[in-house]
Amino acid sequence: MILRKMFSLTRAGIMESLHFRLGTFAALIGNITYLILVYFLWKAIYESSGVTEVNGMTFSDTMIYLILASSLFTVLEMFVVWDMSRSIQSGKIILDLLKPMPYRLYTFWSYSGSHVTMFVLTFIPTFVIVAIITGGAIPMGINLLWFLISIVLALVVNYNMEMIVATLCLYTESTWGINIVKETIVMLLSGASIPLAFFPEGLRHAVEFMPFRAVYDIPLKILLCKDQAATLPGVLAYMGIQLIWIVALSLAGNLFWQISVRKITVNGG
Amino acid sequence: MENTKKHKRGLGFYLNIYRKILVQDLKSKMSYRADFIISTIGMVMTNVAGFVTFYILFRNFPQVNGWDYHHMLFLYAFSLIALTPVQCFFDNNWNLRFMVQSGDFIKYCFRPINVFFYFMSEVFDLKGLGQLLFGVGTLIYAWHHIGIPVTFFAIAKLLVFLFTASLFMISIMNIAAATCFWIQGSGYVMVIMFRFKDYTRYPASIFSGIFKIIFTFVIPIAFVAYYPALMVLGSAHTAPLLSKLSPLIGLLFFWLSYKFWMLGVKKYDFTGS
Repeated sequence: MILRKMFSLTRAGIMESLHFRLGTFAALIGNITYLILVYFLWKAIYESSGVTEVNGMTFSDTMIYLILASSLFTVLEMFVVWDMSRSIQSGKIILDLLKPMPYRLYTFWSYSGSHVTMFVLTFIPTFVIVAIITGGAIPMGINLLWFLISIVLALVVNYNMEMIVATLCLYTESTWGINIVKETIVMLLSGASIPLAFFPEGLRHAVEFMPFRAVYDIPLKILLCKDQAATLPGVLAYMGIQLIWIVALSLAGNLFWQISVRKITVNGG
Repeated sequence: MENTKKHKRGLGFYLNIYRKILVQDLKSKMSYRADFIISTIGMVMTNVAGFVTFYILFRNFPQVNGWDYHHMLFLYAFSLIALTPVQCFFDNNWNLRFMVQSGDFIKYCFRPINVFFYFMSEVFDLKGLGQLLFGVGTLIYAWHHIGIPVTFFAIAKLLVFLFTASLFMISIMNIAAATCFWIQGSGYVMVIMFRFKDYTRYPASIFSGIFKIIFTFVIPIAFVAYYPALMVLGSAHTAPLLSKLSPLIGLLFFWLSYKFWMLGVKKYDFTGS
């Protein structure tokens, strides 16, 4: 029963995002542009360094890593912060809070549709292009299945982080600022702007204890069968880290939300 | 519109108006103090993150395409400064599509001053100043380490070519924003174009083939830092022809983007919506 409710939200989300086809098309164009820039930049970097492998990453690995990370970013992108501040301003949030479903759950499932659409229409084409350009540098096997599962876990981790940040906005009345701070931190520390493999030793260790790598670094490592992900126990260990973060962040987020929701003040409405 | 043509207003007139509008804008921003402070922190953080990325890159790869650490740092700082004007003075471009869609844009057409000027003057983005500070600090550091002599001529050259460089990103964003007069979803055009700014800090010599032409003449990101910076880094003899011509090309691009923007306004007048 509850599942039917959730999937009907997903379906509505898919239909809604299909209506805005231009957005998905633009995201794909954006991915391809980024691909071109990353290709030239890193080709030059690797060529001038004269080595083929740095910290276990070849040129193809770096390409795949960065392009898929940024493509994943558009798939996982949520506008919870913006939506929440807008619905507080307009007073719509009251209706959402009264829905026969917890607000956090409702938000998650209403976003799930756009995640599915974006994944199919932008991530998969980008994936195919990268796979062709790098000439079979992506291992094609059971790792693809693990990768898919890991992306779903990453999505939940990302959602939990978004919700915590959005809750923070209830106090600050700032959306652009909070959002850019969040985006910057996540992009840098998750390895989306430069692979974590290139980080200095100390910083890399510090990042390993943060939830950000569970969003981009872990799924991509699983896809490329790097480090621990070369063996099945390693893959499972990685997913275990993602699961731990899901539990920790959703507990913390839920508590934070319960405390903060009383603070919401809607002017007029 | 007719009015503007009859009495040609001077620069002083426009500067005076700009100052008045600016004060109003700052007053309204200051009423959201928390938002302002957090936004500034956010802007500083994006710059710090940019530096960290740059630093990590150079720890692993000591040089890129013949450019060593300090020269790359110079280029980076140059691009940060060159990107400041588009951030500070032309930030209202981001609101253009909302205003055009809602019809609020019509208010700009009824004033007896230049529409483009009036529209842009309405928003001054203070956050850009943090970036400027970062850029200037880094530029001085890199300048010192490269050992370029500090002469009046060198400083003058730097200022001229920074101004030149800033014209290109302004032009790109003007055109990207003005597409909203014709197509829906121009927000995506702007986001994609804005993304290019992070790649202006690398030497444009990394591009080859058709993309070299595209990134030089179609989406001129090679001019946002690379070509103008070469003029400051080297002597006039060693810099390529495109570097020497960059001020002229910059003015041309800006003029074209302005014309395109105004063409959009004219089209908007026509629909009368």
